Amino acid sequence: MTDKILTQENRVVRHGAMELIEHWAIALSGLILLLTGIFELPVGKRYYIIDVPGLGWSADFITSLYLHYAAALVFTAAAVFHVFYHGLRGEKELLPRKGDLSESVTVIKSLFGFGEEPPMRKYLPEQRLAYAAMALIILMLIISGMVKTYKNIYAPDMSHGILLWATWIHNIGFILFFLAFLAHMAAIALRPNWPMVRGIFTGRVRLDYARHRHPLWIAGMEPEPQDPATVEEGEQQPLPSEEAPVMEETEEEDLPPGKPQPEEDKT
Amino acid sequence: MKQEKNLKIGRRSFLKLTAGAAALSGMSLPKKSFAGTEQRLSTLIDLSLCDGCVDREIPACVGACKEINRDKIPQVIDPIPEPWPRKTIEDWSHKRDVADRLTPYNFIYVHKADVRVAGQAKTIFVPRRCMHCDNPACATICPFSANHKHKSGAVVIDQNLCFGGAKCRDVCPWEIPQRQSGVGIYLNVLPGLMGNGVMYKCDLCVDRLTQGKLPGCIEACPREAMLIGSRAAIEKAALSRAARINGYLYGKTQNGGTATLYVSPVPFEEINKTMIKKPGQPDMKMNVERRMVGTDALGKAVLAAPVLGLAAAAVVGVWGRIISRKEKAGREE
Repeated sequence: MTDKILTQENRVVRHGAMELIEHWAIALSGLILLLTGIFELPVGKRYYIIDVPGLGWSADFITSLYLHYAAALVFTAAAVFHVFYHGLRGEKELLPRKGDLSESVTVIKSLFGFGEEPPMRKYLPEQRLAYAAMALIILMLIISGMVKTYKNIYAPDMSHGILLWATWIHNIGFILFFLAFLAHMAAIALRPNWPMVRGIFTGRVRLDYARHRHPLWIAGMEPEPQDPATVEEGEQQPLPSEEAPVMEETEEEDLPPGKPQPEEDKT
Repeated sequence: MKQEKNLKIGRRSFLKLTAGAAALSGMSLPKKSFAGTEQRLSTLIDLSLCDGCVDREIPACVGACKEINRDKIPQVIDPIPEPWPRKTIEDWSHKRDVADRLTPYNFIYVHKADVRVAGQAKTIFVPRRCMHCDNPACATICPFSANHKHKSGAVVIDQNLCFGGAKCRDVCPWEIPQRQSGVGIYLNVLPGLMGNGVMYKCDLCVDRLTQGKLPGCIEACPREAMLIGSRAAIEKAALSRAARINGYLYGKTQNGGTATLYVSPVPFEEINKTMIKKPGQPDMKMNVERRMVGTDALGKAVLAAPVLGLAAAAVVGVWGRIISRKEKAGREE
């Protein structure tokens, strides 16, 4: 757990360097997989993509396969690393919790002005559900992709039944992964989630934002002794959430309305 | 020819040979040896025997193939939906009789090669069809796995699954599969936007094989210029025939190996000189590499990726624990 309050800087460490590397390894390799997966369909010539400068290779299925394999290597290794690394460390904050579904409904309703947003942990209930959904999609893609890769190299005459299952799981997984990516981008586009975007680039989010929207997360950290390197002697301890200072005291940005959306970050 | 008679290995004897081997391996009925199609089969095309059936309107192999596959392609929809944005439509439904090239309605044709070898003019007839490669990119790269290599070695396109994107033709070194627009599953999805028909090619008469019959072209050949049998038997026969006529082989190494072995009394380089590669008319270059072979190493790395990820998690996890213990010890001091 790398989470840490940096009161002087008005920041909370939300993701450690390892988590950022995991996220971006999966994100970038996933995008390459999406693109080269599309180019494994006969679309390059038909849709004149080959005429786009720099995409002349889009109709060369073997070139796309090289790139697809290279990205799959990173994607698969990073996904397996993620599961075991955090599993061994006992970090389960992204796993769905009991009541996440109903709590998500409450949060979404609050987004439309019906009711209040409940106090949140480090991750929003939608994020935990979205994480589970994405994990399932990635699992589908990796296993089916492995079967297809094995077939390509060792067993072109493998059981057609197994191959058809793998193929369609891969194709459906591709569509779901693409939709999940769009939903991820849509979540980022929502104003209440903007403060979290900084977190996936720098690992840190604003402390006042976190106190306002993720009080259960902050409350879980505050009883802990502060790191002397980050908290000066005699410095005032952060206030409980209900006493949190309002945004305009610390940042130039407006306080977000506090309406969470799914899938802000994935690690 | 004399040599062939001496060899005394004909089509039927191959069947017997195969059946005998099958019986030894536990298969009781001769038919089952093909019917199971579990054993890997190969075919041999002996160009020293093929005479192109010059006395017939079309060669016997071509005629038999056409007859067997006459009703294979369903009724083509009229009008054929115009694909968008590239408006390519390939419609052979009004040219079904074409027999001098590969089309969706013609899976085999015979090329006539007038060559000069050692100053002598010679005419060689070369039946051309799908080579049924050992690791066919046309099948492995099909996005819907509509094209698949069977245990028998036959590479077969399932016309009920194919969208007609022609990827298989693009990656085939001989560009064998041919498209018929206006038929197939794509008509039920988004015909204007995705898919463009169905790809067709020789399927080694896989249905006939399961019934214990020979492929049509092999059965029809009046000169027994084509054979089918177990992989080992065909390979042995091909090498033996080539040695006897001081001839040449094609198909053993091309594209990573195929289930079709040509035996020729003249070098294939000379035959290839008579071939101008055109749509539906493949050439016979000697150096045909399997392009996907270059991707195999990376593919193997992908298969090892879970182990890589696991090992990295263990190393980083243990390293993290050592660091945190050191930090804790430092704080306690």
